[in-house]
Amino acid sequence: MRGKRIAPILAGLGLLLTACGTANNGGSTATSSGAPIVFGAAVSLTGAQSKEGGLTKQGYDLWLDWINQKGGIVIGNVKHPVQIKYEDDQSEANLSATLVQKLITDEKAQFILGPYGSAATATDAIVAEKNSIPMVEANGAAQAIFNKGYKYTFGVLSPANKYLTGVIDMAATLSPKPTTLAMLAANDNFSVEVAKAVEDYAPSKGIQVVFSKQYPAAAPDVSGLVSQAKATNPDIVMNSGHLAEAIAINKAAKQLGLNAKIFAYSVGPSTPDFISALGPDANYVYDGSQWTPQVKYTPSFYLSVADYVKAYEQKYSSSEPPDYHVAESTAACLAFQKAIETAGSLDPGKVRDALASLDVMTFFGQIKFDSRGINIYKPMVVEQIQNGTHYTVFPASVANGKPQYPTPPWSSR
Amino acid sequence: MSQFTQQVILGLLLGGIYVAVALGFSLVWGVLNIVNLAHGALVIVGSYLTWALFTRFHIDPFLSLPIDAGALFVLGYLLQRGVINHIIRAPLLFTFLLTFGLNLVLVSLLLLIFTADFRSVTPSYSGAGLHLAGVTIPYIRLAGLLVALVMAGILWAILNRTRVGAGILAVGADRDAAQLVGIDLRHLYAITFAVGAAFAGVAGGIISTFQSITPTAGDPYTLQAFAVVILGGLGRVSATVAGGLLFGLIEVLGQSLPGLGSGYANAIAFVVLVLVLVVRPRGLLGRLA
Repeated sequence: MRGKRIAPILAGLGLLLTACGTANNGGSTATSSGAPIVFGAAVSLTGAQSKEGGLTKQGYDLWLDWINQKGGIVIGNVKHPVQIKYEDDQSEANLSATLVQKLITDEKAQFILGPYGSAATATDAIVAEKNSIPMVEANGAAQAIFNKGYKYTFGVLSPANKYLTGVIDMAATLSPKPTTLAMLAANDNFSVEVAKAVEDYAPSKGIQVVFSKQYPAAAPDVSGLVSQAKATNPDIVMNSGHLAEAIAINKAAKQLGLNAKIFAYSVGPSTPDFISALGPDANYVYDGSQWTPQVKYTPSFYLSVADYVKAYEQKYSSSEPPDYHVAESTAACLAFQKAIETAGSLDPGKVRDALASLDVMTFFGQIKFDSRGINIYKPMVVEQIQNGTHYTVFPASVANGKPQYPTPPWSSR
Repeated sequence: MSQFTQQVILGLLLGGIYVAVALGFSLVWGVLNIVNLAHGALVIVGSYLTWALFTRFHIDPFLSLPIDAGALFVLGYLLQRGVINHIIRAPLLFTFLLTFGLNLVLVSLLLLIFTADFRSVTPSYSGAGLHLAGVTIPYIRLAGLLVALVMAGILWAILNRTRVGAGILAVGADRDAAQLVGIDLRHLYAITFAVGAAFAGVAGGIISTFQSITPTAGDPYTLQAFAVVILGGLGRVSATVAGGLLFGLIEVLGQSLPGLGSGYANAIAFVVLVLVLVVRPRGLLGRLA
């Protein structure tokens, strides 16, 4: 008789203990592990922009490790681990769009992380809009993407028109003040926007544009253009294009003896390849940067600037700090994370609305989107390569160095 | 006026590069009837070899050119004998497909080995140049042009002054008759392709000195080589030289036309090509088939 009664009591005690045990675990944030959240990303892992695509993937993967180490994104009481499914768009914009559709339809991606480059971002945005799936991108700065009234695409980076105008602002503070500018621009949508913004802005600061020509993106030879630019005797030489062209123009400038007081390239000098490819010829070159490891932001979540740099150097066994392509890609993931947590749901419409009203400070800077979906609230900084190292030289509030101005002529270096 | 002279000089210098790239391509096309879509990849292999020798052993890029030639010769021989030879008698489309696939494999291998990072060879004299009467001639580019002309001379000498060259010309003229007189076709095919690859390697070595290289940087050069051959014609070394120099001139002068963006340079170059095809299909100096 006693044995028969003990069993249910023991069972009841057992259940109680188990419940207590679970309740204790529940005392720390979330208890159970939910279904994984699937992100899709079509990134240029091969092709002309494979270098930059690789940096984008690095940024995404850095966040992926961190979030999964914490158990995942928290919705309610449930931690959802994160998966990122990658496809290689081979630096082809149309292929990128096809792959994004495949990611959504076949691989069940619930959210899309952007590709590298404005061209692919523009085509991917169409697919995101068609499927009503939010896409946060970090590597397509052309404003043309955001002037189409899309509701589902958001860009965490500063738009293209801000890329080199910071250099103009800096130039206006230097003495003797430069007065003439030569612009060589690639003819893709991003580069043209950057160039046009500079050409519209420069006269307001007393700088006259004396030469302006476009070349086909990834042109193998730019020496003809550089020679024409040299004939106009510019104080400032700017290139709006990508890494390969920046290297080619710098080399051609040296070979043809084009001596300008300021050389500024939109993309290229911030990547470690630029310095390793050019050696001492890379010195004195300026660029506009979305982010540098010297900026002073106090984040409200995720890592600080210093910890981010450390995490990058550790994961990728690198002696170089991450360049801004990596940082901005991580920022895209942070925007998604915050939006999903705020929305408390994986419903694409709710996450989209949460993104539209997002306003958060991170190691990358402020992430807030204007009504078109682009982040106009974060400033661009100006960097200069001095003795093989990057220094942030403008604006003074975030600078850790002063501009070395004017650039000495090639023959005396 | 000196601006125009500068543009002409730059055009000729660029043309030198195109000559170097196109020599091997036109040899393989003219003799073996293979349009080698992997030619650009072979050029870039040469570039990477020069870069590796420069960064690891500090060998001057111009001194590494013979090493490029030797290494690419071996690679080309093996590729032809081992892979391409199997479809040598097949319709042209098959060689397109095969060399296209070969190009993909080579580029992907390079991506795996070297990654997509941009590399550049910057010797200490890379900025120096001749400054005459308001015109600048960079030494490196001048050296590139001279090497290209020497390469053309060597190719001409091989074809016209050696037994192997006579064999190559014989195979190109009539492959069955050549077999009848005892020429080992497979070996000679492989030699021809190997010579073409060797020249591609040397071109790559020159290119690495003034351009940044990455595995996919070879593809535009295949296209340029194609254009040079159409412009100049097949069958003669001088045809390739003329075609290459002319193409370089058209590209650079096309960029400097007042009022037009240099995007038109490509369009102008290819309009010229279409005109040549319509008016003189065998090219400026090409021999009739």
